[in-house]
Amino acid sequence: MTDLVDKSKPARFVPGQPDMWAFVLFETLVFTAYFGFYLFYRARSPELFLHSQAQLDLRIGVFNTLVLLLSSWSVARCVQSSRAGAYRAALRDVFITAAFAAVFLLLKVFEWARLVRMGNGLDSNDFFTYYFFLTGIHFVHLLIGFVVLGVVVYQLRSPARREQELQENIETCATYWHTVDFLWVLIFALLYVVR
Amino acid sequence: MIDIKFNKRLLVVWLVLASLTLAYLWIDHSLAGTPRASAVITSSVIVIALVKVRIIFREFMEVRQAPALLCRLTDAWVVLMAVALLGCYFIGRTA
Amino acid sequence: MSAVAAQAVSAAAPPSGPLHHRIAWHLRHDPKRELWLAWGALVVFYNIFFPVFFIVAQVQPPPQPTWDLATQVHWFHERHLGIPVGFGVIFAISGMIATNNALIAYSMRRMSVSRAFGYSYLLIYSFSAVPGMLLLNIALVVGTLRPERDPEAIGWLYDFAFLSFDGTMGVFLIGSLIWMLAILLDKNRVFPKWFGYLNLCNALTEVVVAPCWIFRRGVLAWNGQIAWWLDMVVFGIYQVTFIVMLFRMIQREDFADGPLPDRVRQKAVGQ
Repeated sequence: MTDLVDKSKPARFVPGQPDMWAFVLFETLVFTAYFGFYLFYRARSPELFLHSQAQLDLRIGVFNTLVLLLSSWSVARCVQSSRAGAYRAALRDVFITAAFAAVFLLLKVFEWARLVRMGNGLDSNDFFTYYFFLTGIHFVHLLIGFVVLGVVVYQLRSPARREQELQENIETCATYWHTVDFLWVLIFALLYVVR
Repeated sequence: MIDIKFNKRLLVVWLVLASLTLAYLWIDHSLAGTPRASAVITSSVIVIALVKVRIIFREFMEVRQAPALLCRLTDAWVVLMAVALLGCYFIGRTA
Repeated sequence: MSAVAAQAVSAAAPPSGPLHHRIAWHLRHDPKRELWLAWGALVVFYNIFFPVFFIVAQVQPPPQPTWDLATQVHWFHERHLGIPVGFGVIFAISGMIATNNALIAYSMRRMSVSRAFGYSYLLIYSFSAVPGMLLLNIALVVGTLRPERDPEAIGWLYDFAFLSFDGTMGVFLIGSLIWMLAILLDKNRVFPKWFGYLNLCNALTEVVVAPCWIFRRGVLAWNGQIAWWLDMVVFGIYQVTFIVMLFRMIQREDFADGPLPDRVRQKAVGQ
């Protein structure tokens, strides 16, 4: 590929700790297993799943997906800002990310409350078991994401930190955040859109 | 200079991902009426989702600029997910 | 390696010669013998634990929550010898849980993080052996003692055993998180960071088992594909990994306070 020889392109690097990538890949496998079970059982009882799925509001799901994608965008910007040394811009980007995530969380809780009030709980039927289970475990990952964002804020705020270490830590945290995002992309597609 | 270029690129990436997401609304809208199970819809939806995941890997997670091993690993993972998800779905249909 | 540590290790160089001489020397002079003993006990414990639960007592994989009382009574009857014998062995070796936890807590003590991590891990895991294993053992042994017992009572013991075993994963969850946090904060590189993240994976799969309190059938029941089978796969990977990581840690141990050195080949130490 010619861009390997192109000197103006940056050298190839692993974003963040390779250890975090190992976690990301492993966790993705685990979720793929959950999704596999869901799709298998869904294909076996299409009527039940379709009928229950109709009670979800696709628009809220789409909006939530856009919001979480925005949070990924802002955290990617944060990585770029801190790489360029613009730490105040990076800090602002982290807070924007947290704000988007908070919107997502609130909407999710609202959605759950609405479904429960309609009479659909974790044990209502197989579809809702998967729905609450998948969105629930994703919610837990998102809560951990807030802790991870906290780590980014702490890193950006501490004085005299070695630039390389700081950058690697921020990239590591961003990698985790993007994982939460792409897992939601998959969950949304499988729960809300698949027929 | 490079930062501005990268920031614009990130925005374009988000717009692409957002359009793919909105495409779902379009699919849903064109299906208006009694819900029907459809292998074609399901497969396309899964494929679109995996395309989005790959974009997130390559652009947001910067795999594009990563060593070849990571590029190949993430691509392999996307393929693995496609096989697993579509496989489970189609096996479920025929079981 | 610091000069003091280097001296300690070089002064303790094992003699060459016949195997039994070397073993005897290790038993008497190796500064790491307690660590190796604890690790050996860990391996022995798990080599007994899994065969007992899976083969002798045959209580894992767990039976179905949906069985009627007659089937449950029959299940106990099939195991009227396997359960008491197997769990008798488990009761005898359950003290080893203490040394297992001590070795893990030791790894945290070697880290640069506060001792509070090691101590809280010890406390939590000592407590968690009760709901995490002993309650199941006791309930099932009681169930097999009198075959003529009222089936309702047997059904009670059946539910109690498996719910306490699978449903109380939460107590292990906090312990995993403590170890994860210690590993991630550690500056002495006792374990690689990916092992810390693996603790997180393990903790998350334990969260997933919690719904088994609600479900009597399906993927989230106590024998469900997600709550048991998938959880077992992750747990199995985690078990093997942490046994290997502890082994490597003991190999690298230099009894100093700074970063743990990387593994050095034995021949190079003799310089």
